[in-house]
Amino acid sequence: MKDVHVDEWLIDHVRGDLDPADRARVDVHLTACADCRASRDRFAALITELARTAPAPPPIHWGAYRAELRERLERRTAGPGRVWGWLVRPLPALVAAGLVTVLVLAGLPAGVRPPDPIALDNTILATELDMIARLDVVQQLDLLEDFNVIGELDELPEPQKG
Amino acid sequence: MESSDEQLCRAVAEREPGAFDLLVERYQERAYRIAWSVLRDREDARDCSQEAFIRLHESAGSFAGQSKFSTWFYRILVNCCLDQQRRRRGWRRLVGWRDQRADGPDEPDPVEQAPAPFTDPVEGMDAERRMTRVWALVDELSPQQRAAVTLSCREGLATKDIAAVLSVSEATVRVHLHRALSTLRRRLGDEG
Repeated sequence: MKDVHVDEWLIDHVRGDLDPADRARVDVHLTACADCRASRDRFAALITELARTAPAPPPIHWGAYRAELRERLERRTAGPGRVWGWLVRPLPALVAAGLVTVLVLAGLPAGVRPPDPIALDNTILATELDMIARLDVVQQLDLLEDFNVIGELDELPEPQKG
Repeated sequence: MESSDEQLCRAVAEREPGAFDLLVERYQERAYRIAWSVLRDREDARDCSQEAFIRLHESAGSFAGQSKFSTWFYRILVNCCLDQQRRRRGWRRLVGWRDQRADGPDEPDPVEQAPAPFTDPVEGMDAERRMTRVWALVDELSPQQRAAVTLSCREGLATKDIAAVLSVSEATVRVHLHRALSTLRRRLGDEG
């Protein structure tokens, strides 16, 4: 320790954290140096203030804290098994998805195919031809529709028999 | 007779039932308080202090008994906190958080600069406001300086123990403390 100035030793001096030899040297320096004495007094005041006014952390529920810690510890001590567990966890899901796919494909009737567009056209054409063949009936239906009769069929009087 | 911390730590290493729980009960408040003093965030403090206990459980066998148990455990704890602080700073850089002040890269998030939870019930109580202000200024120190101030002024650790906790030399601790307290003095002096 140099006897020039003792700035960095002042805090330990205030806190009583110097061995006897160092403390004696600082004491000797302080008797001769007003600047260091003043500095020491300011450090002492600040350290006292810091110790006296230290804020308390936000309150915590210690039971919950310990329970959470215990859970974290168990998770950690399970270690590699757990990691392996995470790695293999998707396997059952993949297997299940594969099985469902196979079952769906196997369950489809062999003959089910998308409709043939030519066959569809033929069906529509046949329906239209049938309607032309029964033109009189279609015309009557159109006429009734025009008069909003179809929507009110249930309100029409029943036809007289005989 | 009550077991010492060192005996309990050896019992933890040998996986004796109940030993770990006893150590946790002895140190939980100190661990949380120190973590909070360094991190100034409730959830981070909770997380880091728990992580320190987990690491204690994992490495109890490596405790050689050359230092006090408390020093050894605080070292684990403060390392967790400083790691967390680094991760937090790294994440902030990643998302583009920028400190607007020119004081340096260790300045904390403005959100975290909320004054310490003191009550200031009476207007005009200058002393009370000053107390709050002192610890708000401590929050603005670098993490290492804040840790040194907390361990020294609050927890009452000796310089050699702080050096062991922070894994630095005693001379470095003296420099940290001197710079930190000089900064506080200057800033408090500047404010009158």
